[in-house]
Amino acid sequence: MGKSQIKNNIRRLRFNNDEMTQQQLADAVGASRQTIIAIEKGNYSPSLELAFRIATAFSTPLEEVFIYENAEPPKKK
Amino acid sequence: MSYREKENIINIISGLLITLIYGWIVFQRHLEGSINLTTDYNSWGMVFIIFIVVSIVARIIIYIIFHIINAIATREEKIPAEDERDKLIKLKATRNSHYIFSSGFVMSVMALAFGMPVYIIFIAFVIVGLLSEIVDNGSQIYYYRKGV
Repeated sequence: MGKSQIKNNIRRLRFNNDEMTQQQLADAVGASRQTIIAIEKGNYSPSLELAFRIATAFSTPLEEVFIYENAEPPKKK
Repeated sequence: MSYREKENIINIISGLLITLIYGWIVFQRHLEGSINLTTDYNSWGMVFIIFIVVSIVARIIIYIIFHIINAIATREEKIPAEDERDKLIKLKATRNSHYIFSSGFVMSVMALAFGMPVYIIFIAFVIVGLLSEIVDNGSQIYYYRKGV
């Protein structure tokens, strides 16, 4: 399983949100702590719904939580 | 190690133990002559039905023991709820186990076509069933560790 091209700022956002624990974030978004660990490490790309729930938990826009690296604009014909 | 990984390891060990012990008992009964597995195919049906019941009962007992030991060791009584990642991992593992089972089925049918005795297909079912279960749980452990 290769590393995902989707990077994230979850660790930093947790720290900035009163040092929120992985378990607290997991409970807030309805996922397991193992899933939060996997997302933080870049071993799992969450569904769009879970991504939005994470962003909502931090009260921040989605693009501030997740960054798509090597994103190329669509080629024009 | 997470609860799910431990659960998968328990599944592999219990599957191996139940199949090997039950297989050994059935084989001994065959050697004694109380059942004839080479020509009497009805007894294979009984062997499989009893195996399913024994397997379910044994697994329930093993799960209860595992849950008690895990709760004592980790002080966590609640079984973690299944989330989207668990479901995705389970789906991919089931796909892998189906590949193994269907390949085994095709190979056993080919063995029949090449003149092997009919009871070979039943033995193949047992072996391939066990293998596919190991692949299912092994794949889950792999995906939990390496990512999905």
